[in-house]
Amino acid sequence: MRARTLAAVGIAAALLAGCSDSSNGKTTSLKDSSSKGDVLVVLADDLKLQTVDNIVPVVRTAKASPALEAALDKVSSALTTPDLIALNQAVDVARQTSVAAAQKYVSDKGLTSGLSGGKGKIVVGAANFSESATLANLYADVLKAAGFDASVKSVTNREVYEPALEKGDLDVFPEYVGTLTEFLNKKANGANAAPKASGDLDATVSALKGLAGPRGLTVYTPSAAADQNAFAVTKNFAKANNLTKLSDLKNVKTKLVLGGPPECPTRPFCEPGLEKTYGLTFASFKSLDAGGPLTKAALKDGSVQVGLVFSSDGSLGSL
Amino acid sequence: MHHLDAPNPWFSASFLQQNKDFLWSATREHLVLVGLSVAFGLLLAVPLSVLVQGHRRWSALLVQTTGVLYTIPSLALFALLEPVTGLTVTTAVIGLTSYTLLVLVRNVLAGLEGVPEEVLESARGMGLGRWRTLVTVELPLAMPTILAGVRVATVSNVALATVGIVVSHGGLGQVIFQGLYANFYRAEILTGTLLCVLLAGAAELVLLGLERLLTPWTRR
Amino acid sequence: MSLVADVLVWLGDKAHYRGDDGVLHRLAVHLEVTGAAVGIACLVALPTAVWLGHRRSRVGGLVVSAANATRALPVFGVLIVLASTSLGTTNKSAVAGLALFAVPPLLTNAYVGLRDVDPDVVEAARGNGMSGAQVLRAVELPLAVPLIAAGLRTSVVQVIATATLSAYVGGGGLGQFINEGFGRGDQVETAAGGVLVAALALAAELLLAGVQRLVTPRTATRP
Repeated sequence: MRARTLAAVGIAAALLAGCSDSSNGKTTSLKDSSSKGDVLVVLADDLKLQTVDNIVPVVRTAKASPALEAALDKVSSALTTPDLIALNQAVDVARQTSVAAAQKYVSDKGLTSGLSGGKGKIVVGAANFSESATLANLYADVLKAAGFDASVKSVTNREVYEPALEKGDLDVFPEYVGTLTEFLNKKANGANAAPKASGDLDATVSALKGLAGPRGLTVYTPSAAADQNAFAVTKNFAKANNLTKLSDLKNVKTKLVLGGPPECPTRPFCEPGLEKTYGLTFASFKSLDAGGPLTKAALKDGSVQVGLVFSSDGSLGSL
Repeated sequence: MHHLDAPNPWFSASFLQQNKDFLWSATREHLVLVGLSVAFGLLLAVPLSVLVQGHRRWSALLVQTTGVLYTIPSLALFALLEPVTGLTVTTAVIGLTSYTLLVLVRNVLAGLEGVPEEVLESARGMGLGRWRTLVTVELPLAMPTILAGVRVATVSNVALATVGIVVSHGGLGQVIFQGLYANFYRAEILTGTLLCVLLAGAAELVLLGLERLLTPWTRR
Repeated sequence: MSLVADVLVWLGDKAHYRGDDGVLHRLAVHLEVTGAAVGIACLVALPTAVWLGHRRSRVGGLVVSAANATRALPVFGVLIVLASTSLGTTNKSAVAGLALFAVPPLLTNAYVGLRDVDPDVVEAARGNGMSGAQVLRAVELPLAVPLIAAGLRTSVVQVIATATLSAYVGGGGLGQFINEGFGRGDQVETAAGGVLVAALALAAELLLAGVQRLVTPRTATRP
């Protein structure tokens, strides 16, 4: 009888032994304790990996109309990069929701006046990070003012929502010129297609229109506001390794773990770009989120050394 | 560094105030998801169970099939359905319905099995046909067990519906995740979670009440 | 049908098993996290339940009801709430969340297992002059072990399934294949991840069912 009791207890003990392993993170991640820190800093993109990434409304051609364009253009022409950063700060730091922050911006800038001619349902998509939600709400607010029955639908990432946009589950999306161009480029011309996005906004926009048109998507006028992928490290790590720009990372002797959204290893301006343009090798990649709190937390606790953030993030520090 | 520290209360009255509409529409979607999935679950489970009841091999097959559906990780099921049925309520409901089937099938079968043989015999003796016996005798007697299953399926689905966020229809899961995206805003995250728990509790109470109403003879 | 074939090819590809994002490493993380969560749950639930069951306390019924109410907790909610505490987004918060979900089956089964030991057997033991503690150790616990083992089995399988979701909010484990596959539009990886998790859950179920059979005394009166 005792043996059987011991057997049951022994199983529990064996399971408990797992406790000590996971607390020092031995097999879960390469924790480089020197990369822990509370402040995150962006390393400059000195070799210009990122292209122009202005915010641009992309619309299903079937739903495109002058009234729709007029409303969305109002947001695009008003929005600047400092405005975008301030909006992100309002949500991520001042704890306003995207809905409230968007509403305030729209009324402060008088974006609802002079709009009309809208009718019918419009679904605006928002990706899985707060800036996208804010932009989507900005769009929805002006569309409502124009008379559309507009609503915001929260989705995940482009690999999932772009087909949905083409299919009609979504009608409008606040997109990023360069990243979308390359996404559609790879989709149409294969994974090794020559890049069509560049540092030239006009050229990139016309490339985008050429790729989007055949898919039933219309591209409206881009905004001056832009938000590119950026890569951050903790201030401690930067100081310890004398880092100011991304090409400095090549000299780091310790193992580098990259953190970002699940699609990062397959996106040209993410992991593959860092590997090709900057010649970096990462020990591994950790799937977290798109420049969001999970990635930033992982940077701060040292489970990743380099993380994807957004250039318009409202809560980053400076070197 | 200080201006980068975002306040992060666990509870915020102003958050509730400013986001009444959002919270209400998320709750509404949550109710729709749970209601539809349990309803469809019953619509599938009851006829299927009635059909296989009494036939051992078919019963076992039905239970095993619904069991297999149950072991498919919810994240994977939603992810695989999405390309087919899109980012729609349909996708979420299909996923949620499949998770109710095991409990509902098991309980309908158990309920029908629990009808005493003498009762069936006297029904036959009274001249009631198969169909009428089923509807007026067997199902009512199986009701307590079936309703117990409905209760378990409903409460489970209230919790599970949040996973629908991966296909853009997660009801209160939307509130939880918006809180996450907005730099780990605790008040939003906790509000979404608590509303979910409250909804589950309310559903449990309502269904208990319904059970009492529909099966007065069990009150004794 | 070609998805099935593709998944088999994916599973057969050795490259998918190597490295920090390979099957073997993620399986190890998944098991570690499961083990830690169930371990903590055992530490919390078993002594409590054994004590309440031994005393046949009425409070026990309430505690079990409360524990079962955790069925109503949304997994993402719990995981994200814990990740926003000082536990952070490390595996610690995932383990804490999973431990919460691991408790109910252990607690319920251990409590019922002890409470429902045949009172005649207990009386006979008392009659033989055994003290309460001795009765617990020599009679009640051994008789309750099969039910406790069943609770452990349910708990482990549940945590394995729930740990899959923690991958969606920054955790590790096999769920990462599902998360990545979905994020990259790679259905094959998603399906392969689903298969791996289901296989792990099945393996655990079978293993622990065997253990349960082993610890079930042939002559014991099953409650």
